[in-house]
Amino acid sequence: MIGKSLTSIATVAAFAALSSTAMAADEIPVGHLAAYTGPTSAVGKIYGQGIEDAIAYINDNGGIDGRMINKDTVDYSYAAPRAIATYKRWTSGLNPVVIQGWGTADTEALVQFVARDEIVYMSASYSGHLTDPTGKSPKTEKAAPYNFFYGPSYSDGCRAMVAWAKQDWEDKGMSGTPKFVHMGDNHPYPNAPKAACQDYAESQGFEVLNPIVYSLKPGDAKGQCLSLEDAGADYAYLANTSGSNISLLKSCATVGVDTQFVTNVWGFDEEAVDAAGEAGDGIVFPVGAARWGADVPGMETIKAISRMSDSSGEKSRALHYMRGVCSVYFMRDAMKRAAEGDGITGPNVKAALESMEGHVPAELEGVCLPHTWTPENHRGTTKVMVYQNEYNGGDFRFNRLTTIDLPRRDDWLGY
Amino acid sequence: MALGANSMRCGEFRTSYRQDSTIFPTPMSRNFAIAGVLLLMVSPVFLQPYHLNILIQIGYMGIAALGLNILVGFSGQISLGHAAFFGFGAFASAWINSSFGIPVILAIPLAGVLTTAVGMIVGIPAARIKGLYLAIATLAAQYILEDFFNRAVWFTGGSAGSLANPLSLFGYQMTTDTRYFYVVLAFVVVMYLLGTNLIRSRDGRALVALRDHYLSAEIMGINLTKYRILAFGISSFYAGVGGALFAHYLGYVSAESFTILLSIQFLGMIIIGGLGSIMGTLMGTAFMVLLPEVMEGGVGVIADFMPGIEQGLAYIKEMAIGLAIVLFLIFEPEGLAHRWQLTKAYWKLYPFSY
Repeated sequence: MIGKSLTSIATVAAFAALSSTAMAADEIPVGHLAAYTGPTSAVGKIYGQGIEDAIAYINDNGGIDGRMINKDTVDYSYAAPRAIATYKRWTSGLNPVVIQGWGTADTEALVQFVARDEIVYMSASYSGHLTDPTGKSPKTEKAAPYNFFYGPSYSDGCRAMVAWAKQDWEDKGMSGTPKFVHMGDNHPYPNAPKAACQDYAESQGFEVLNPIVYSLKPGDAKGQCLSLEDAGADYAYLANTSGSNISLLKSCATVGVDTQFVTNVWGFDEEAVDAAGEAGDGIVFPVGAARWGADVPGMETIKAISRMSDSSGEKSRALHYMRGVCSVYFMRDAMKRAAEGDGITGPNVKAALESMEGHVPAELEGVCLPHTWTPENHRGTTKVMVYQNEYNGGDFRFNRLTTIDLPRRDDWLGY
Repeated sequence: MALGANSMRCGEFRTSYRQDSTIFPTPMSRNFAIAGVLLLMVSPVFLQPYHLNILIQIGYMGIAALGLNILVGFSGQISLGHAAFFGFGAFASAWINSSFGIPVILAIPLAGVLTTAVGMIVGIPAARIKGLYLAIATLAAQYILEDFFNRAVWFTGGSAGSLANPLSLFGYQMTTDTRYFYVVLAFVVVMYLLGTNLIRSRDGRALVALRDHYLSAEIMGINLTKYRILAFGISSFYAGVGGALFAHYLGYVSAESFTILLSIQFLGMIIIGGLGSIMGTLMGTAFMVLLPEVMEGGVGVIADFMPGIEQGLAYIKEMAIGLAIVLFLIFEPEGLAHRWQLTKAYWKLYPFSY
């Protein structure tokens, strides 16, 4: 009798153990490090919502070959140590295959960790330092084999701004040497493109001025605007996020600076227009995906994804939302490819991403830019769409000025 | 009150000054302390990584907080720059280890020594100024060091921060929480014993004399300048060791961890725990580390009943932490250590407590 009940208990226990492992095997663990609070929250909320909605939409539509994505979202307030602590917690519990990350400081700090643990890290940091998987490029400080990101790198975005500025200078028939200045906080994210972009500006015939520091936390920046005016810069590159840029633009409008501002991919968006007002008129910025409501085939999917968190479907999404969705869809396609091969593991997803050539997720045609990653090159795209804000008394327009296609130079990897 | 708390059991008495100044006033308290350490040594078997993580936090924060208590509670000075020393120790240990290849286990005390040097330099104004003026002078140190962390690329990796290698001992990498827990526990025991002994020594008594009445102390031949700066040095040593333990636990050090907010938290720990109490320091640290975690859990429970207010709960949590601290200061201004004494006295004198 005792023997029998023991066997049945053992059977039940074994069954329970089996079913729980089966459950875990069914779901694909993915970590999402978001910045809903902290200095970059203005853009972090938009991008993070894109990630959330896209994953929810994929799960609602059959997951990845029937397997659901088990996502854990942590708001880390843009504090790198908190990101590392979260990462450590994940590696001893969730064991994610892919992490959708956020900032440059934490992403760059985690490079060696994710390489060791073989976790694909898709960041919202587009730091050029993450583009060299082998470490062979002379400019690379450390190889980043498991790091990927969607969109042009910060360095490429800034180079495109310089290329546009050169064209603008010539179009306006100006003579002499144009002056270029990098402005941003002393923080890994604004610093990421600094050296590469200043180098490029010099090679394009600009006079590069000493960089000016202004805080990532929005606040008065009249002091910096006065320095900018004194230096007589013609083009100023703003390397911070929109929240901080708005306060700088307004401060500079008060001071009366007539520099042409250009910024990075996080530096300006639809939600910044009203806050910046007249001061934001004329700012030029790179865009990494189609805009909300663009007349492209993939926009239907974007609208359906948006309804995951906005059932009315009326809310319009700012630029960063589309990049968040694209990041998730490239991850999904890589997971699908991995599932067809040896299964969804970190190394397989990495290999799948590195096998993509001019790839665009099928449902997002026209929204996401085509990306190519190889085992030697993680600079997914070199195309940068350049837009300009026309404030127009509040009825603003984002005018597409040009598309810059930068050379795919090997010595620009990791830089 | 004091009678109840300090009175000894029947049959326990002291016949020499030496006995009167032992670390543990009664055999019972010594046995309890040893049992406590033994209990902690077996605890990883029962505890989950989450709980170990909290204990490790209490450990390294507690070491740093003890340093501040020696400065504030025992020698009567003030520092608003303790987080910067904590950070300096963290960066120094990572730097010593990665630049000179010195093993982490040696880099941690060396980082403490380097931090001592920095602390003594910062403490120089303390020879001249007191009270609020000293607070502002140390506040300056906080900002200067923070800026230094952001700029000294050779030392800290600049704003990008630097990686700290895991501690390895006898061929074992202390990367898991369980293993690192023992490292921190060993450091806590050693540092707390050192701290307790310091207070029993000639130098420790000089510090206390300095706090209670500096003029009398000077008349009795205590060199005020020397002991004031020494207090800063000792305090920084503890901060440096605590910071180094933190660095090798997280594996990554960045300037943004060591803001003025952390300095204030350290002050909160020792005020809640009890100024001038070694054991209170550990209690206060545990309180400050556990409070947000407990609030988090509490908020989760409330959210289950009232799902609509989740957004607001994050703010309620922050406010509740503040409220708990204020209530504590009103109802127990002498800290947790005092409350502990009262509880002990209550049981000792039961049922005739008053």
